[in-house]
Amino acid sequence: MTHLSLVNICKQFAGISAVCDFNLNVEKGEFVSFLGPSGCGKTTTLRMIAGFEVPTTGQVTIDNIDITNKAPNQRNVGMVFQAYALFPNMTVAQNIGYGLRIRKESNAAIKERVAEMLALIHLEKKGNSYPHQLSGGQQQRVALARALAIRPQVLLLDEPLSALDAKIRVTLRAEIRAIQRKLGITAIYVTHDQEEALSISDRIVVMYEGKIEQVGSPFEIYNFPKTAFVASFVGTLNTATAEVVDPVNRLIAMDGIQLQSAEGMDDMQKGDKVSIAIRPERLSFAAQEKKANVLDCKIENITFLGSVVRIQVLIGNTHFYMDTFNNPFLELPKIGDKDQVTCSREAVLVLKA
Amino acid sequence: MKRGNKAWSWFLMILGILYFFLPLVATFVFSLKAKLGVLSFKAYANVFNDPAFVYNFSASVLWAVLTIVVGILLFVPTAYLIRLRVPKLRSAVEFITLLPFVVPAIVFVFGLVRTFSQPPLLIVNSPVLLIAGYTVLSMPYMYRAVDTGLRAIDVRTLTEAAQSLGAGWGAILFDIILPNIRVAILSGAFLSFAIVIGEYILAQYLAKPAFAPYMAYQIQQKAYEPAAMAILSFALTWAAMGIIDLVGRGRGQAPVGGGH
Repeated sequence: MTHLSLVNICKQFAGISAVCDFNLNVEKGEFVSFLGPSGCGKTTTLRMIAGFEVPTTGQVTIDNIDITNKAPNQRNVGMVFQAYALFPNMTVAQNIGYGLRIRKESNAAIKERVAEMLALIHLEKKGNSYPHQLSGGQQQRVALARALAIRPQVLLLDEPLSALDAKIRVTLRAEIRAIQRKLGITAIYVTHDQEEALSISDRIVVMYEGKIEQVGSPFEIYNFPKTAFVASFVGTLNTATAEVVDPVNRLIAMDGIQLQSAEGMDDMQKGDKVSIAIRPERLSFAAQEKKANVLDCKIENITFLGSVVRIQVLIGNTHFYMDTFNNPFLELPKIGDKDQVTCSREAVLVLKA
Repeated sequence: MKRGNKAWSWFLMILGILYFFLPLVATFVFSLKAKLGVLSFKAYANVFNDPAFVYNFSASVLWAVLTIVVGILLFVPTAYLIRLRVPKLRSAVEFITLLPFVVPAIVFVFGLVRTFSQPPLLIVNSPVLLIAGYTVLSMPYMYRAVDTGLRAIDVRTLTEAAQSLGAGWGAILFDIILPNIRVAILSGAFLSFAIVIGEYILAQYLAKPAFAPYMAYQIQQKAYEPAAMAILSFALTWAAMGIIDLVGRGRGQAPVGGGH
């Protein structure tokens, strides 16, 4: 059942479109991430759900109730901000209980809920501390507890981890996801970090220039990108221009080198220009195992990335990256060697421009 | 060369101290000479025993407190809303707040008298006009202090955080904004207090009891008591400055964002 619905949402600032034709239905308890580069409209959309911006056109509903023009303090929506936004004059406990105090709940009820929330974020002993006495990660956990304390219908998180260092980001995002699952709350998460979105979400909405490019599970978004933008924005991708050779047998040619794809080309003609994409991890050396496509290449560079070794190869006139898992016994080729790489038909994606 | 520079620095500093403190010390010493041949606090005792002093000084304190209250009620929401809603207006408003420095007080008071001594607002005899005038005179201090306080906090995000928790404008202002700019408001309040206590022209021309016109009158009548009052006035101003410093010290705003 649809819990949160955004229908034909558009937002213009001084005649310039920030968000356009945005349609999305979110199920109860679902964790949806808005992913895209800066200025793509993801935060604007989130702010329209929160009520801080009013859509120029369109409708926002929660449980089929239209909240499009409701003031932010009239919506039961919790929000976590990038800058934490804890009230500096209040203790952690007072911060968490503030929304309940505004709702005129009894002192006993507030105390009980605050204790519950402090236990949820594992900061039971920090109730009397002030925000400036906490680390960034602790502050953001308090901000999360504060947003959850009011039992919101929807939880909104606006790049909540971007001010934290990498290690805390990884722990905290797992913690956020665990809390969201435990409470079964609907959550919308804004991020420009693809790894974050892929690891935390049930579904990802990839946005570009105010429009939705693709909506899908992290698996779908990564493995089956529908547009060139999604393919290039999510993960590392080798792209090249190619020409359709035989649409029936799904054959294409790149710099005169023939490749076979698994994607349907029913709407294409022989000679059509297309964009193809291959993920670096889908390429491997042909010496190990030959797949549908075997391509001659020249080794150009080898970069050690820890768990992965990234090898740059030249296929025809196009530079490609190939990722292989690091193995202490791996025999790496030398720069300048001539070799063969291979990939399956499914690895060759044909993209809409 | 360096030693020469240091000597010059000391010389200039001592010169500065003498320039500022010598008249003050002289006034203080003079104020102690009310009793012939000995140094005493007789002039101070005379001042405090004069019912007119108590009356005029109390009146000034009352005007100062009312000015501070009006100033807070007027300038805190104004500065807050300008920062939140119309930040483009900030420079224009800042210019307006500086006008009391540009327009001489005597011109200002005659403007007030001329405007408010005829209908529709015949309030020239009311203390309301005096408080309004003082509020304008203290505006550069109060508004700028509040604005500086607001600059130290992330007004927009704190407001939105409070709104998302269900808070209305009143709750946001009283629960979140005011407590977080308390030090700035206190600074503005003490500066306004010092301005009102020492202000002469407005009270004199609007014919209201106040400390400064009383002191000016005493100067024409007596010798030692006005000197004592001058020292008291200085002490009061310094006390106000000291309280600002004390309240502000070590109680800066906690950062809204960023951990440590």
